[in-house]
Amino acid sequence: MDIISDSIVVGLTEQAPLILAAMGFALLYRLTGLINVAYSETITLGAYMAMWINTTFDLNFYTILIPTGILAGLISVATYFAVFRPAKLRHVGGLEMIIISFGLSVFLRHGLQFVFGYPVRFFDVPAPHTIFVLGVGVSSFRLVAVISVFVLALGLFWFIQKTSYGLQIRALASDEGLAQVSGIRPLAVTVLIWFLAGVAGGLAGAFYGVGSAAAPLLGWRQFLFILLVVLVGGAKNIGGVIIVGAITAVSLTFMTLQFGQALYSQLVLIVVFIVILKVRGTRAAEAGKV
Amino acid sequence: MNLDWLDAFLVYGLFSVLMVIGLALLLHLQLGLARIANFGIVGFWGLGMYAFGVLFVRVDWPFGEVWAFLISMAFGTLVAGLAGLAVGWVIADLDTDGVLVGTLGFATCVWIVATTEQDLTGGALGMGGLGFPYDIGSVKANETLWLAILAIVVALILYYVSRVHKSSYGRLLISIGDNEPLARSLGKRSFRTKLLLFAGTSAAMGFLGAIFGVMERFLDTGNLGIDITLAAMVALVVGGTTRTWGAVVGAALTVAIFDILFQSYIPFPQSWYGQAIPNIREMTFGAALILVLMFRPNGMLGEMRRDKLMRRMHGS
Repeated sequence: MDIISDSIVVGLTEQAPLILAAMGFALLYRLTGLINVAYSETITLGAYMAMWINTTFDLNFYTILIPTGILAGLISVATYFAVFRPAKLRHVGGLEMIIISFGLSVFLRHGLQFVFGYPVRFFDVPAPHTIFVLGVGVSSFRLVAVISVFVLALGLFWFIQKTSYGLQIRALASDEGLAQVSGIRPLAVTVLIWFLAGVAGGLAGAFYGVGSAAAPLLGWRQFLFILLVVLVGGAKNIGGVIIVGAITAVSLTFMTLQFGQALYSQLVLIVVFIVILKVRGTRAAEAGKV
Repeated sequence: MNLDWLDAFLVYGLFSVLMVIGLALLLHLQLGLARIANFGIVGFWGLGMYAFGVLFVRVDWPFGEVWAFLISMAFGTLVAGLAGLAVGWVIADLDTDGVLVGTLGFATCVWIVATTEQDLTGGALGMGGLGFPYDIGSVKANETLWLAILAIVVALILYYVSRVHKSSYGRLLISIGDNEPLARSLGKRSFRTKLLLFAGTSAAMGFLGAIFGVMERFLDTGNLGIDITLAAMVALVVGGTTRTWGAVVGAALTVAIFDILFQSYIPFPQSWYGQAIPNIREMTFGAALILVLMFRPNGMLGEMRRDKLMRRMHGS
């Protein structure tokens, strides 16, 4: 039983940023149908910005989450206006859009190294408090990450299902033309989605960063798992992403504890997820576009 | 032979450019013709490199080094081809999103295996013991000969690609890339065609990886980053994804500028070569992908000649 409770507690707390990032990515994917590879850099940017605000203004970790989320959201919107919107207006195809997002990802990743320097950068925070959950010690930063996921998930669910903006988002995602003739302003809704996705990615980056360091490949190393969680779990709604994200988190920790090697557990999970996508066939990706 | 005139950086720079041209030509068959977006080029390339290296270095061969070398080369190619067959089977009937996940996932798996199987691959510390299957004198002479061998291999790939363009097989690939359901409805076996194309081109990528391993003489997981995939993709997109010579022109305009011109002929401050220039290189490549696909989606060479011909014939 110990290994199961350890896996659940450690998995959910360690991988909460993964679920948070996957929720943001899924939101974007559902609206645009675009696999935005550059989303990985939203996560990296979140880590760097949080570190910069923390070390420059000497603010504690909890305070920096608000400006980090807002800045990451604004940068996400900026990438939409600078790259994705012009590309869409030029009728760039779906495959080319993915390659463009790949190019943007590489550009931002290496641009960040010019701005923040080449070595990894650390947060200036006191050692977090340790809180015991089911007998397992968990850092207070990780618990905040879990709470953030919970709050954001509830907020997103309420926002998408219960508000008029949420209704507009769903309408826009299912049929943009019909949504427009119904009086929905696609630009305002789209900007809102890019902002929310950026906030989720940026906060995930801050949580990843404070747990280790702000590094250029931080977001890219998580991207494949975010993609897999969204494609496997995001077929119906955000709830699917959270469930698959949680299963991923617990499985990764369980296998790591079993094998004694984190990379083996990643290998197994990648293979399992790809097999699931193969079995589900092309429907997997199509169903993700609400 | 006196090779004093030849700069060692130039030899390595030319080798890098030719390697990227070779990979971009193979990507042209996958992406340019059949529209299979392979984001895991480094996986097949790296698998060929490591399969070759492990067999060549770790096995106590009972016969001459040349035979061991050739068998290891064939093994690296075969393993990459079989991996291509397996990955191709997974992705052949998936849409672009599935192909992205499948190929990227495969590349990650190769990196994980290369990192964790330390007894075989040396892990993050790397593995030495590779070398040329000949010795004609100095290191520079050996490297120049290896460069010439790579040039011949790439020329053969270029010749094959140009033949594909003129063949019924090439037309089949283009029809699958343009409209797969239509090609299937006309009785074309699109799944099998894509599968065999992917396996064959992956084997060739593995072969190029083995050639790279020999030139490097030391394998480490640092080679398995996204850089080589990015370079091949940029070269192809900048030159023109649908054109035979697109990869060559694209590599000349991108990789050659950084790996030959900047390395050998522009006197930048010495400190820039460590991290600044490689960073500018990758940023430029990323920006090139964005700008070319937005403003000149068919690359420098433009669209396929047969598309232009069809438009002239039909007046559209």
